[in-house]
Amino acid sequence: MIGPRTRSGRIAAFLLGAALLVLVSAVGFAVGGVRLSLSDLVSGKGEAGEMARTIAALRAPRVALAALVGACLALAGAALQALLKNPLADPFLLGTSGGAAAGAAIAALLSVSPLLSPAAAFVGAVAASVAVAALARRGGRLDLQRLLLAGLVANAFFSALLLAAFSIASGEAARSMLFWMMGNLSNATPGRVAALLPYAFLGSAVLVAMAARLNLFAVGEENAAALGVDVERTKGVVFLAASLLTGAAVAFAGVIGFVGLLVPHGVRRVAGNDQRILLPLSALAGATLLVAADAVSRAAVAPAELPIGAITAGLGAPLFAWLLMRTA
Amino acid sequence: MSATPGVLIEARKLTADYGAERALRGLDALIEAGEILAVLGENGSGKSTLLKVLARVLPASGGQLLFGGRPLASLPRRETARRVAYVPQSVDLVFPIRCLDLVLQGRAPHGRGFVAETPRDLELARAAMKACDVESLADRDAAALSGGERRRVFLARALAQEAEVWLLDEPTGDLDPRHRLEFLETLWRVHGERRTTVVLVTHEILLASDLATRVLLLKEGRAIAGGTRREVLTEQNLERAFGAPFAERGGRFEVVSRTLPGPPAEL
Repeated sequence: MIGPRTRSGRIAAFLLGAALLVLVSAVGFAVGGVRLSLSDLVSGKGEAGEMARTIAALRAPRVALAALVGACLALAGAALQALLKNPLADPFLLGTSGGAAAGAAIAALLSVSPLLSPAAAFVGAVAASVAVAALARRGGRLDLQRLLLAGLVANAFFSALLLAAFSIASGEAARSMLFWMMGNLSNATPGRVAALLPYAFLGSAVLVAMAARLNLFAVGEENAAALGVDVERTKGVVFLAASLLTGAAVAFAGVIGFVGLLVPHGVRRVAGNDQRILLPLSALAGATLLVAADAVSRAAVAPAELPIGAITAGLGAPLFAWLLMRTA
Repeated sequence: MSATPGVLIEARKLTADYGAERALRGLDALIEAGEILAVLGENGSGKSTLLKVLARVLPASGGQLLFGGRPLASLPRRETARRVAYVPQSVDLVFPIRCLDLVLQGRAPHGRGFVAETPRDLELARAAMKACDVESLADRDAAALSGGERRRVFLARALAQEAEVWLLDEPTGDLDPRHRLEFLETLWRVHGERRTTVVLVTHEILLASDLATRVLLLKEGRAIAGGTRREVLTEQNLERAFGAPFAERGGRFEVVSRTLPGPPAEL
């Protein structure tokens, strides 16, 4: 599928995506341990209205956090796929998420302020990206199979690091580490949502600004170089921005895999691979996917919760297997 | 650095490496403006590497490379990309891309900050596709095209790039005879219209003898002969370059076999 050609087709795609996000968010508000009636929320009087507004105030940050985290991960995945000309690239599979979680955990172990955990996660994510890229480089270029293997090794290493940190941590630090390992949106607060916003905004702005260059990379790195792109610099900028988005997402919601793999793949089938459309649409669709997955995680076994990472992995792992069979 | 009149590109003792492996080992070459230069040599002789260095896809590791009398590496990348178009041997397209969008990529070095195409870009891209007979493919996915169609789309892109130099790597590599002929006729016609300097890399001696203004013969990363077709294409030179005996038949050179039966005897 090569996507809509006309301006109106592109606008329609965005409107559709936005409408879907609104719809799914409404569902996200409604479902959970206590069912929330949207009509009570909007026009409810007395106790029922009061109750509805209290529940909404509790759920709103959670829905917002899910949307932001989903957008960050999907955007990072989409940009990495174009940069590496590889539909299997994803911050989780390339070890970036694992590095971010380990960075945040080490900061927690050292009793660094939780406010700095996104920064620590960013450092971990960059370290993971650099290590994986160095391992995967062969004769001056990144090799697909080596990249996936290096991601696997990085994930094993960082989860060992995380487990080691977990075993010597106690109290609050131990609780946050468990949270980073499992992926979790349950401690969303308006403050945390607000703290994630600047990272999400900065990373997204950089990647969207790189969209036209990424189109040249999607045909090949040599293609981009021959058309006048400073390849090394662009790679550095995109890796940093993707690491920033991944680090921020992991710091606030833990490791949630496969979002960066699933979403761009789905969007590409509908809207084509022009990064100027694919990147913003992926952010929108990633937000929608994670809000929906969160709603399912709260509703499926209420009052208990499924880990959200289990839902995204349940969708993403089969897709990965299918893509791997096709590209092999 | 006095530029000889007519000389557009000059390489002196040029070297280039892939990792630890040296692919160009002190190559000297002149490329004149408006000519079709065929770079001929066996596999591994460094001919594709030379194109990559000219396209700035691969950095030179030593020697000098002058473009219009100035060191190529000192020119801004985007300026070089406006003046030099590179058509690689084969591009493995992983993602879908509309042919028109692929041709429009040729306009990328002309825009500001690689952002969006202008109406003029679109006009040039469409005109280029028309010139290369790929107009009807504009909305097709380039990943789904045949080899011949895809090559013509890439040629259209070089055209839309409005570059004065085209670097073509094995342009007829995997084409069947009809598509090969169609591609070469398109190339010849467009070259005639635009007076573009064409550097084409090939191991097909026929291509050099039928199309080129001049020929550069490479072996093991060095130029062993350079000049007009008549000067360079001799049995001795070809045997040296390809390590096999050659014979001339009607102005064309062919490898001679001592064991194959050869063509049927004429009655």
